[in-house]
Amino acid sequence: MSKVAMFRVRAIAKKEVIEFVRDWRTIMAIIVIPLLMFPLLFILFPILLESEAAELDALELSIIVQSNELDSSLEDAINGAGIMFELENLSNLTTLSEPGEDMDRVRNLSVDAVLRIERDNTTWNYAILHLSTSERSNEAWNRLLDALNQWEDEEVERRISDSGLDVNATLDPLRWDGDVGQSDVATSGEQAGMVLSLFIPLVLAIWTYSSALQPSIDMTAGERERGTLEALLCLPCTRLELLLGKWAAVATITGVGVILQIFGLLFAIGYLASSSFIGLPDLSFTAILLLITAILLFAVMIVAIELALAMRSHSVKEAGSILAPMLLLIVFPALFTQVINLDGIESVWFAIPVVNILLALRELLMNRIIPGHIVIWAGTSLLYAALAAYYASRQFGREDIVTSLS
Amino acid sequence: MTPLLSISNVSKSFGDLVALDQINLEIRSGEVVGLVGSNGAGKTTLLRLMAGVYLPTSGKISLPDGQSVDKMRQSLGVVPESTGLYSRLTAWENIRYHSRMHGISDKDAWARTAKFAEHLDMLDSLGRHTKGFSRGMRQKTALLRALAHGPSILLLDEPTAGLDITSARTVRHLVEQLKNEGGTIVYSTHQLSEAQQVCDRIVIVHNGEIRADGSPDALLESTDSTTLEEAYVALTKDTARPRTEEDGKEGRFTGWWRSFFTPKPPQVTMNEVETDE
Repeated sequence: MSKVAMFRVRAIAKKEVIEFVRDWRTIMAIIVIPLLMFPLLFILFPILLESEAAELDALELSIIVQSNELDSSLEDAINGAGIMFELENLSNLTTLSEPGEDMDRVRNLSVDAVLRIERDNTTWNYAILHLSTSERSNEAWNRLLDALNQWEDEEVERRISDSGLDVNATLDPLRWDGDVGQSDVATSGEQAGMVLSLFIPLVLAIWTYSSALQPSIDMTAGERERGTLEALLCLPCTRLELLLGKWAAVATITGVGVILQIFGLLFAIGYLASSSFIGLPDLSFTAILLLITAILLFAVMIVAIELALAMRSHSVKEAGSILAPMLLLIVFPALFTQVINLDGIESVWFAIPVVNILLALRELLMNRIIPGHIVIWAGTSLLYAALAAYYASRQFGREDIVTSLS
Repeated sequence: MTPLLSISNVSKSFGDLVALDQINLEIRSGEVVGLVGSNGAGKTTLLRLMAGVYLPTSGKISLPDGQSVDKMRQSLGVVPESTGLYSRLTAWENIRYHSRMHGISDKDAWARTAKFAEHLDMLDSLGRHTKGFSRGMRQKTALLRALAHGPSILLLDEPTAGLDITSARTVRHLVEQLKNEGGTIVYSTHQLSEAQQVCDRIVIVHNGEIRADGSPDALLESTDSTTLEEAYVALTKDTARPRTEEDGKEGRFTGWWRSFFTPKPPQVTMNEVETDE
C-alpha cells in the first residue's frame, strides 16, 4: 500500500474515532457501562444481599410449635436459635405434612410457620408448614430447620456417647490428613489460568462482537442513511481504503472497549476475593503472543463481517435487525466451548469457526502450547478472517451503497 | 477546445430500469453546464457517473490523457444533493477531512476556505458543529468543502434546492464568481430560470435521455419558442417516469414481505367519486 493510501486510511480512521468519541451516549453504551457493569455487580450486589439478609435476621416472626410432649432440650434448641414461638397441642392428622385446619392461617400470613413434632418411640417425626412464596415464611422455615438440625446433631452425639462409642471416630471414620490445598501440585498461576480460561474466552468473544456492533452500523448503514456516504465516495480514495479506514476505527474502539471491560472484571473479582481468590496466570511470552494473535484474528473476522453486513443494509434499523440476533452465533459456540474437555481433545475442534479461537484462548490461558493445535487454529482463523475481509470488500465495492433511504 | 470530460454512448441500468440511455456529452473547460430535468430524469445518475461513483453499463467516459476515473476524482469537487456533512464535526473539520483526502495541506485548504467563506458569510461559523446548521448553511459548507482543494470541475447536484431566497442567491453569486474565474461547473437543477441565469449551456435530461444540449438562445431557436419553459415543455412532452432507482435495489423477498402486510387501496370508480360529491 502506498504512502498516500496509508495516509487516507489513517485520515478515515481518525475521523471515525473523533466522531465516535464526541457522542457521549455511544461512549456510555460501549465503554462506561460494560466497564462498570462487573464491578457494580460484584461489589454492590453482595452489599445488597447482605443488607437484605440483615433485614431478614431482624424480622420478628410468628411461629407456632404443635406438640403433645415437647422435649425440653428441643425447646432449648429452638429458644437458643432466637425463635419466639407459641406452643399448641397437636391435633389428630394422617400425616404431619397435611396442612389441615392450619392452611388458612399460614396462607394469609397470620402465622409464618407451624412446626409439628411428635415422638415415635426412639425417633421423632416432624413437618413444617410454610408458604414458599413468602419471604417471612421462608425465613421462619429456615430458622426452624437450623434449630432442628442443631438439636439432631446434639442428640446423635448424646446417643453415640450413651452407647459407649467415641463420637468422632464413629461419625468421622475417614479423614483428610494435612492441608487439602498443599496436596494440589498445580501452581497458583496454573490454577489462576484454569479459572480465567473458563470465562475470559466467553467474555472476549461476546464483548468483541457487541462492542463492534454499534460503531460498525454507525459507520456504514448510518452514513448511508444520513447521506454522508455519497460525498465520501466522490473522494479520491478507493473502496478498499474506505473499508480499511473504517475497519481500523471499529477495531480500535472495540479493542479499547474489550480491554477496559476485562480490567473491570478482574478488578471486581480481585476486590470480591480480597485479591487472594485469583492470582496472575503463569503465561510464557509465547503464550501471550499467541493470545494476542488469536484475539486479533478473531477481531479481524468479526469486525469485517459486521461491517460487511451493516454496509449491505439500507438503514440503521435494518442493520440492527440483522446483526443483533447474530450475537447468538457467538454465544452458543462460546457456551459450548466452556464444557469441552481440553485433555485429549480432537484436533478437528480447532478448525471450527469461533469455536477454534475460543478453544485456543482456553488452552493458552492454561499455558498449554500445542504446536499441532496452533497450526490448525491459526491457519483456519487466517482463512476465515481473509474470507470475511474479502466479503466486506465486495460489499464496500457495491454500487448501490450510495443510495440512501433518507 | 479539448473537453475535460467526454461521455460517449453511456447507458446505465439498475436491474430492468434503464436510468440513462445512450448519453453523449462533453464538458469543456471554463463552461457552466446546467443539467435540467424533472425528478427521476437521470440528472443525479449522470453526475454520479461523472464522479466515478457509478460505472457505466455500456459506453465510455473519457478523461484527458486517458486518466482513470479514480484519478479524475482528485480534481473533482462534488456537492451531492444531501450535502453529506458530519454533524459531530465542525464545518472546518468537515472541509479539512475532505481536503486531506485530496492530499491538500491544512494551510492551503484553510486559505482557500477562508477566501470563499467570507464571500458566503460563513467565516464565523466554520468552528461550529454542523448539527445545528440550517439547510442554507449546510449547503454553503458543502460548497466550501468542494472548493477547498481547488477542483478543476465542480459537480453541483441541486445546490439551491430547499434554500431560502437569500441563500439561493448567495450560492448563485458564488457560482457566477467561479465562472468568471474560469471554473468549470456542472450544475444540476430542475429550475429553468436558475439554469438560464447561471449556465452557459443547458442540457435537458428527460426519462434518461438528453433531449437538448445548447445555449439558452440555441434552445429557444431550435424549438421555435419564446421562453425556456415553452422550449422545455416542447422537448419533454411524454410523461415523466417515476423515480424508481432505490425501489429497484430492494430484494425480491423484502418487497414481497412488505406487500403482504400492505392492504390494497379501496377500488373506487370515478362514477362513485362523483356520486359521493
